[in-house]
Amino acid sequence: NHVAAVFSDAQKSNTGHRKLVINLRKIQEACCYEPLSSKKKQAEYDNDEDEFNTEVVRCVLRVLPIKKSETVGDRIVKFLGIFLRVASEKDNQLVADHDGALPETPTSRLTNAILNTLLQLLSTKDKIVRFRATQISAHIINTLDTLDDQMFHLLRLALLKRIHDKESSVRMHAIYGLSRLAAELDEDQQDEDSDDDDASSGVLEKLLNVLQNDPSAEVRRALLLNLPLTPTTLPYLLERARDLDAATRRALYARLLPALGDFRHLSLTHREKLLRWGLRDRDETVRKATARLFRERWIEDCAALPAATAPEEETEDGKKKPSVTKVADPSLEALLELLERIDVANSGNTGGVALEAMSEFWDGRPDYREYVSFDSEAFWDEISPESVFVARTFNDYCRAKDAQGDGRLLDMLEMKMPEVTKFGFLLEIQINRLIECVRGAASGGPDGDGDEEMEEESVQREFIVEQMLHMAISFDYSDEVGRRKMFGLMREALTMPELPEESTRLAVETLRLVCGDDRSDKGESDFCGIVLEAIAEVHDTIMGDEADKTKSSTGEESFHSARSEVSNDGSASRSKKSRRSNNDDGEEEDDDEEKAIREIMVNMKCLHIAQCMLQNIQCELEQTVHLVTMLNNLVIPAVRSQEAPIRERGLVCLGLCCLLGKNLAQENIELFLHCFARGHASLQTIALQIITDILTTHPSLLAPVASSGHGDETSATISATEPSPLLKPVLKTFSKSLKSEDVDVQSTGASALSKLMLSQLIIDPDLLKGLVIAFFDPETSNNASLKQALTYFLPVYCHSRAANAERMATIATGVIGRLAALREAFIEDEDVEESEMVTLSVVGGMLVDWTDPRKVIGSSEEAKTGKLKVEEGAAPDSDMIHFVLAEQILEKLVTSQTSKDERKVLFSMLSKLHLAVSSPDPGLLRTVLELVAEAIESKVASDATSRNALTKIQTTLLKLMHDIATAERGGHG
Amino acid sequence: ATPATTKKKDKEPFEIDFMSPMNQQLADLLYTPAPSNATISLPKKDWKSKTRNLLPDDKHFSSRDLLRLFLKPKARMGSRKSAQQ
Repeated sequence: NHVAAVFSDAQKSNTGHRKLVINLRKIQEACCYEPLSSKKKQAEYDNDEDEFNTEVVRCVLRVLPIKKSETVGDRIVKFLGIFLRVASEKDNQLVADHDGALPETPTSRLTNAILNTLLQLLSTKDKIVRFRATQISAHIINTLDTLDDQMFHLLRLALLKRIHDKESSVRMHAIYGLSRLAAELDEDQQDEDSDDDDASSGVLEKLLNVLQNDPSAEVRRALLLNLPLTPTTLPYLLERARDLDAATRRALYARLLPALGDFRHLSLTHREKLLRWGLRDRDETVRKATARLFRERWIEDCAALPAATAPEEETEDGKKKPSVTKVADPSLEALLELLERIDVANSGNTGGVALEAMSEFWDGRPDYREYVSFDSEAFWDEISPESVFVARTFNDYCRAKDAQGDGRLLDMLEMKMPEVTKFGFLLEIQINRLIECVRGAASGGPDGDGDEEMEEESVQREFIVEQMLHMAISFDYSDEVGRRKMFGLMREALTMPELPEESTRLAVETLRLVCGDDRSDKGESDFCGIVLEAIAEVHDTIMGDEADKTKSSTGEESFHSARSEVSNDGSASRSKKSRRSNNDDGEEEDDDEEKAIREIMVNMKCLHIAQCMLQNIQCELEQTVHLVTMLNNLVIPAVRSQEAPIRERGLVCLGLCCLLGKNLAQENIELFLHCFARGHASLQTIALQIITDILTTHPSLLAPVASSGHGDETSATISATEPSPLLKPVLKTFSKSLKSEDVDVQSTGASALSKLMLSQLIIDPDLLKGLVIAFFDPETSNNASLKQALTYFLPVYCHSRAANAERMATIATGVIGRLAALREAFIEDEDVEESEMVTLSVVGGMLVDWTDPRKVIGSSEEAKTGKLKVEEGAAPDSDMIHFVLAEQILEKLVTSQTSKDERKVLFSMLSKLHLAVSSPDPGLLRTVLELVAEAIESKVASDATSRNALTKIQTTLLKLMHDIATAERGGHG
Repeated sequence: ATPATTKKKDKEPFEIDFMSPMNQQLADLLYTPAPSNATISLPKKDWKSKTRNLLPDDKHFSSRDLLRLFLKPKARMGSRKSAQQ
């Protein structure tokens, strides 16, 4: 039999396929076409054709039971595809003269015969047959240009059933076939809106549904790469940028998006999100693919000349052919457009993704690094948010490389950048333009509504100044002329009330830098002095204006008036914009209101400058007279203000002052605790942060204090101590924060506790338990900050210190008990799905893992593997942690009432403990052994698995006991 | 288990015998349809994923977050005096 022989050869390798296809075609032609066109013999040939088709189908059937892992199966499938394509091409050539609809040919009949057979087998019970049948059908669909309408319809129905197959491999091929059908239906839709319309949207809709919901990442990935790219599918495809599976995300960034065509057709939101998600992905390969997309494809869309944009060419397996089109020459205009297209005025701000994008850009585009230059007059004359961002990120990049030891880029930067003094003048021009603009926008148009254009421009000007200040902060100020220029400029800038907040912050930082540090001169105190002067001036400037207008000039010293009487007017809390509201109105009431608002503004501005300053100093507060004055005249009154924004800012300043003086901290920590107890959510968050920072900076505040009989400082009195009186209220505050309804308060509380626990300032087991429960509690499922902070913290905490892990062991059964109760209550709630809360067994597994003695840094196990050298004799104390856990679990089982679920988890935890240590503590060993015996006796283990766990642990412990006894006898003997 | 795996490695490359006639075993395999579509499909509950198989928002929490002050993010914790700009 010749046909079977051809198939037999075809399975051996792909290389012979060409020849075998010709062979098989010859057989087919011999069977189906008459050598002489005599009609009488037609019947005979039909008979031969039937035989040929039956034989091919028979061979196809032989492939069906072949396992997925056998390559011979795939070879035959491939061979069959090639044959059908070649054969149908040849058929069509033979009948090409007959125009009109495609006629039936021997090969189309063969195809139908094969597909008809496979159709029956798509719902076979055996999964391998189902897999092969689906694979072959899908492959034929994707290989052939045309299919019989009837067949098309049947295949669609049959494959649609398979997109929810149990086997992911079947689903893969079902969608592979259907994607092609969907694409075709989609094309049809263009010219005829018949029934196919429904069919098309039906298939596509189902496929998109699978794209979002299929549990197998492989299936989702296959769909991602095979679905047609249309406006309907695009949002679904782009959504996969956040797919759970890294390879799927990578496929989107490395394959789909580069093939998508001009990125400018994407919406601004999509561009920004794709860039942000991709560059900050958890997986490095995704980050790299995104970086390449940005600096190699997107820039080309902006830079390529129309002639250079060749149509996208792709080979079948999705790999790009070596690009024929030359990379476009570097162009500043293109780069500016690219930045505009990613809305750099927004995405270029602190925390925006444009910074990372440009860092990757410079890293991968040496041609652009060579090309750019920033020392021409024209560049700075025509400065725009985009162009200044190019300069700023280039500066950042070169300096970062320099810090990593690559000095060549710094030389290059110096060649391209104006020198510091010159930069100072350029920055001065930009600051002045910004101030003008802010004033213009504030004074408003003829109707006093504010000038929208001016306002928009001032946003841009603000961005430019911020970027230049970022650059200024990175400069080297060893050149005295340049340093003085910048010093003067910053001092001047800070006195301008119109300078926006972010610029102010950066100006303060720049000033701190140019003042120098304390080692060479009195940098810090100079800095304080200058900033305080600026605060006074800002205050006088604004209030002076006001004084002229209301003719109630106060001769008071600036800070005293800064204290202000805002507290008298609670109704005046208005947004900043209202400051621009009608000035000329003669009504007295409006005048008062205007004044109150103005006072709030002044206070906010002064407090902001003070806050920026306090963030940049480290001196002892009490030894710096200026600062004490500021504290008393500006900060304290603000803290007492009735206006919430002022009070909050005042509290932050007070908190910062407390970091500079322990006495002040001690006096005020009660206040912050009170703020937490009584405040609303945002105040609570601030209070938590301040309390945490204070405790971190002044750890002695929580240290035990000598009790009564105030001691001579000898070691004898050490025993007579009691806990710091602060401890209890502090613990209570944090405990409350974890139970807060507000996500910010809750997550701030959790990360604050993480810090304090890692530094051993808080070692309270109840709070640790609170953290663990908050971590697993379904109530916190919407609090990603909290979850992710604790995901990081809990293992780090336990594995960094044996004492921490032991503490975790002591609360473990309490955690299980509490979560068992929570879960029971959770499941009873009808509105939720059970799967939304972790199972107890997962919790148990994590607790066992966190307390695993082998994972603790410095454990004897770790020492054995050579990761860490433990000093000889310094026995690590981590070995016994699981004994502690065993004791806890057994204790619980023996003494308390436990639910069935709870017991099950406890026993399963027991069976996972690592107890085979070299030198156990005999006392604890004996205790645990006694508890095991008690547990066995009291029959708490109700099923075989649990009883086995107990027996197993008993055997292990008895052996340890025996070893100890032997060692002792050996030692004595 | 070990002898089985070594045997597998030594095994001749797999070949399909296209000449063989249809036997009962193959016929059974091919022509036993599933009792119902449900038995060869995913359970319905797996047709929908509550998260659409998407990652949660990344907060990019790192050790750095544990090592800095809330109020003075630039200064490292516990090193007040040495934390020069």
